[in-house]
Amino acid sequence: MTRRVRLLVLALGGAGLAALLVAACLDLPGFGRARHPYGTRAVHASLARHTANTIAAVNFDQRAFDTLGEMTILFASVLGTVVLLRQSRDEKRAAPEAERVAAPVRRYALLVLPVAVVTGLYIVAHGQLSPGGGFQGGVVAATALHLLYLGADYRALTRVRPVGAFEIGDALATCSYLVLGLACLLAGAAFLANTPLPYGTFDTLASGGTVPLLNAAVGMEVACAVVVLLAHFLDQAVEIEEEGSRSG
Amino acid sequence: MDDPLIVVTLLLVAAAATAAVAVRDPVRQALVLSVLGLCLAVLFTVLQAPDVGLSQLAVGSALTPLLLMLAVRRVGRRAKGTTGTTGTTGTGDGEREKAR
Amino acid sequence: MNGWTTTATVALAGGLGATLWGAATGPLHRRAVAQNLASAVTAPALLLLAQGYGRPAYVDLALVLALLGPVGTLVFARLLAGELADGGQSPGGRGPTLAVAAYGALVVVVLCAVTGPSRAMVKLLVVGVLLVAGNLIASKALSGGFGTAGASAGKNAGQERESNGRG
Repeated sequence: MTRRVRLLVLALGGAGLAALLVAACLDLPGFGRARHPYGTRAVHASLARHTANTIAAVNFDQRAFDTLGEMTILFASVLGTVVLLRQSRDEKRAAPEAERVAAPVRRYALLVLPVAVVTGLYIVAHGQLSPGGGFQGGVVAATALHLLYLGADYRALTRVRPVGAFEIGDALATCSYLVLGLACLLAGAAFLANTPLPYGTFDTLASGGTVPLLNAAVGMEVACAVVVLLAHFLDQAVEIEEEGSRSG
Repeated sequence: MDDPLIVVTLLLVAAAATAAVAVRDPVRQALVLSVLGLCLAVLFTVLQAPDVGLSQLAVGSALTPLLLMLAVRRVGRRAKGTTGTTGTTGTGDGEREKAR
Repeated sequence: MNGWTTTATVALAGGLGATLWGAATGPLHRRAVAQNLASAVTAPALLLLAQGYGRPAYVDLALVLALLGPVGTLVFARLLAGELADGGQSPGGRGPTLAVAAYGALVVVVLCAVTGPSRAMVKLLVVGVLLVAGNLIASKALSGGFGTAGASAGKNAGQERESNGRG
């Protein structure tokens, strides 16, 4: 096949796809209408369980099993990264040198770090009330920890962040999600059903049954997973080098 | 409805995505991807999906650029190592690369 | 479509469009400065949208952006310190940075006045302080906060301490 023929086939395929997409878009129901068959049922179920954030109710109550799958995907991908990026036989570990950082930047990093970690925990805790939840809060908290590397020193980060503890935390959090689901099973309902705990008062921190607990489990899992992931990337970029490069 | 706002945001996302594809160097692409992440977060907010917008902001503003830049740094160091460094001048470059 | 969302539309079209163009073209230093200004322009727009839609919960998005936007710029400042120093300083990076910081402060002050004294106003003030301080510190880090250029940054540390007294 010559290049022109290939481009012609691509153009024909693209034109057909474009025609089908336009026809589909013109036939869609209007955006932002007040009624939608799935939407009304989801909101009704969420309000019946006193969960103010319907997205959290869908994620951790009505479709909690899918969230278990997503959490396992993140866990498995971090596991794969750990295996791929571990120090191999033909690599050696060299201590990184300190980089000079301007004083205002260092002060900003050390001041904002606790604020950002607390914000991450706040987003995890308020997952059932306002936009947010376990995933978003966990990523914010984990990223905030790396202000130590960006604003201060890599060695400061390694002191504060024992990678082994975070790997254990990741596995523990995944297991706790499963244990919560099994607890619902033992309480006489289905796996991950939101029945054993009281639903609480609407729009307070203690509402929604098992939703805040599952939120916390996912938050811890995501935070630990992101820290482990970044730890291995940083190791490769900063510490580990090939055996053959004579640079010291 | 807020049609002008949605149209403006959609155009920004389209422009940012096109720019991200047009820029070829990984480092410069990481900068454009950061701005693309911001445009996407605004699009999700305008379409009344703040949870998704929050996820996009959390991941795209700091985590994705960090992973990209660390990968670029690692590949660059590997290339410098295999071409070999010689003598004292090479040591200086190696030290600079090793730090930070 | 009320006044708040109209202002947000104009701010997004102008601010985010200009910073996108700045990040996609030009020398490396200008691209990094444009990336810094992009997050500093988007956070006030998110606050305006929160007010326009009447949903105070959207302020959380601006809070996260005010916290993590400067972190993103620090990533580039730290890992590109060598290339940014080699390329030389791009003249006129200070003006747009201060203008965007002033715009962010203005939006926060107006929204605080509209909200009235309450916990929501305290949250808006926190977002404003984080936004302005982060924007200024990140732009400082880009123009020589790391490594070999740190010596000259030390001289400026004195005046930075005064202007960032609350940080």
